[in-house]
Amino acid sequence: MKVPPRKNVLLAPVTVTPTKPLTPSHLKGLLWTDVMFRATVPLAKVTYRYSHTTYHVTEQTVGFWEYLDRTRGGTDYAQLSEEEIGELYVRYRAEEQPQSARALRPYRDAIGHSGWTHPASRRLLELWAGHYERLGMHDPGLREHQPPGLALEEMVEQLSATGLVLDQRDCGGPVYLDLTRYGMPLRRIITSDGRPNYLACALRELLPLVPWYDEVVLLYDRELDTDYQLLNRILTRLGPKVRRVPVGRVPIDGRIASARHGGWRGHTAGVLLSEAAETCGDDTEALRLGMRLYFVATLGPGQRESFRHDLLRNCLTLAARLLKRSRAAVAAGTGDLFDALDRHRRDHTYVDPYRLTCSLLGRGRPAPDPGLLSAVYL
Amino acid sequence: MTSSLEPTTLAPTVSDPSDTLAPARPATAALASPHALSPAALLRSALDRVRTARPELADRLDLSSAQALRALRAGFHSADAVDTEVLAVVVVGRLDLPRWVRETCAFALTLAPEARDAWRGSFTRTVFLAGSPANLRERFTFDHLAGDGSVAWCGPAPGAATATLRRLLKTFEAGHELTATPAATVTVPRTVTASGAGWSRPAVHRDLYIATAGVTVAHALVHINHLLAEAVLDGLIHPCDRLTLRFVPRLTGLAGQFAMLRVDTDVHRPDELQAYAGLTTEI
Repeated sequence: MKVPPRKNVLLAPVTVTPTKPLTPSHLKGLLWTDVMFRATVPLAKVTYRYSHTTYHVTEQTVGFWEYLDRTRGGTDYAQLSEEEIGELYVRYRAEEQPQSARALRPYRDAIGHSGWTHPASRRLLELWAGHYERLGMHDPGLREHQPPGLALEEMVEQLSATGLVLDQRDCGGPVYLDLTRYGMPLRRIITSDGRPNYLACALRELLPLVPWYDEVVLLYDRELDTDYQLLNRILTRLGPKVRRVPVGRVPIDGRIASARHGGWRGHTAGVLLSEAAETCGDDTEALRLGMRLYFVATLGPGQRESFRHDLLRNCLTLAARLLKRSRAAVAAGTGDLFDALDRHRRDHTYVDPYRLTCSLLGRGRPAPDPGLLSAVYL
Repeated sequence: MTSSLEPTTLAPTVSDPSDTLAPARPATAALASPHALSPAALLRSALDRVRTARPELADRLDLSSAQALRALRAGFHSADAVDTEVLAVVVVGRLDLPRWVRETCAFALTLAPEARDAWRGSFTRTVFLAGSPANLRERFTFDHLAGDGSVAWCGPAPGAATATLRRLLKTFEAGHELTATPAATVTVPRTVTASGAGWSRPAVHRDLYIATAGVTVAHALVHINHLLAEAVLDGLIHPCDRLTLRFVPRLTGLAGQFAMLRVDTDVHRPDELQAYAGLTTEI
């Protein structure tokens, strides 16, 4: 049998800035990516790029850090919960006074020169690593220093060479991403006083990486679709197939609200994991599979369905039943696992997490293959 | 994109008849006295501009003060003014001020008589956008393009004609204060003028004084654009004329030399007027 060459795949999801607790929307994106990553690994050479270092310089993160140091002094953040840090973030976002680029410069410098992370965010990342562990998610280097391959100016220079940025800083203007030749609107990526947005950060990271891959998968919130269309267009020019995978957020009581408003209260990852433990008891595998059945298969790619505790509990119970049946079944061979995953690739290299997870459900289905569950869901 | 501003605010990159007091018509006579930059002369200059652009409004003019002028321009928001309004769009990729001055004159010189009248009646309203002309040329037709492709012009035309372009681009931002550079002389191109005007006299040389103190690059473009466009439309600037750009903190101590001024709200005192740019008589 001739085995096709393994393709190089880069998974590059949008990151969650470590300034607030993980919410159902975040959990959905993370679990979605995790299932995609682990399901694609048996079929291709996959890199899961998830660098907090790259995005620390964005306004919401360095702005939060400056706010904390200005208003909280020497608080011992190691003693705070993610909800307590999240409350500080809500207060920061409610502050009306804009911060000057000058006030934020020491923070951006420290990130760029020494990989420094503020203790409040370090604390969040430590707590998140614990959530990843309980959920059985691959840790893509939450607490590692992973600087982007290009400095800000190098990124601007590289894009300038092909006319893809419009740099008007010489007269006090901003830097724009310029894809107007394709009928796409001009998009500011660096303000006139030198503040980069997340798109500038993504470009610093992805421009030097993507030429090494056959396929690049961008996972992001639906609200960012316009920006990701721009990113898609730029990265495609560098060679690889670029796949955009928008993942809808999870409304709470019918509302999709930014974490800055604090709508996450009672729905944070910590709270959900505690509640799940009440349903699952010691059965960690049921918790892991049940969370994926809910956030991937039940909520699906859209964002119409509000978060429901009862449906999450149902999924946890269903997971326990599936696992029981699966343990009684005979493990399939490696070839069968390959086929089971390959079925959900369509014309792309990555495995579609929604289709794969849905394939576990439905009346009359055979017991899930223990090899598949172990490789992807547990 | 074409937002209105409070009366005391200088228009940043959008110049609007109802927002700016703006340059005067050729006012050699009015400004010939030694006190040409006095408050009264500045007000007269601003009102002359309104008379030239919209003579039908002359009866409604209150010549009493800068405040009265502000009240007057607030009246320009009336629907009848908007219906007939046209605007030019300038797409700025890279800015080289002397080159831009030269090309601004060239653009105005190419306009057909109807376009000239409509634009003058709309107070030479112009929207400045950030954009790369080279990247836009396949999708949009420009009416004028700088020789080096750094800046492009559309119109003047009703707003709908450039709506797609304006949606694609952003308002030109240039927040740096204008810096004084050595004087530079430009020659207005030998443009083929649609009206045939501009060949009736030998070329002349004028100074173009530009105020820098407290004036951003974006504001300066608005001021100089109105001054040059209206100087061309009023026949003050012809092809092959030479203009020497002279940068000064403020146009003080230069009384008596100006053929046309650009007047707007004072950068320090919102109830007073200031000359931001001035075109001298022949030198």
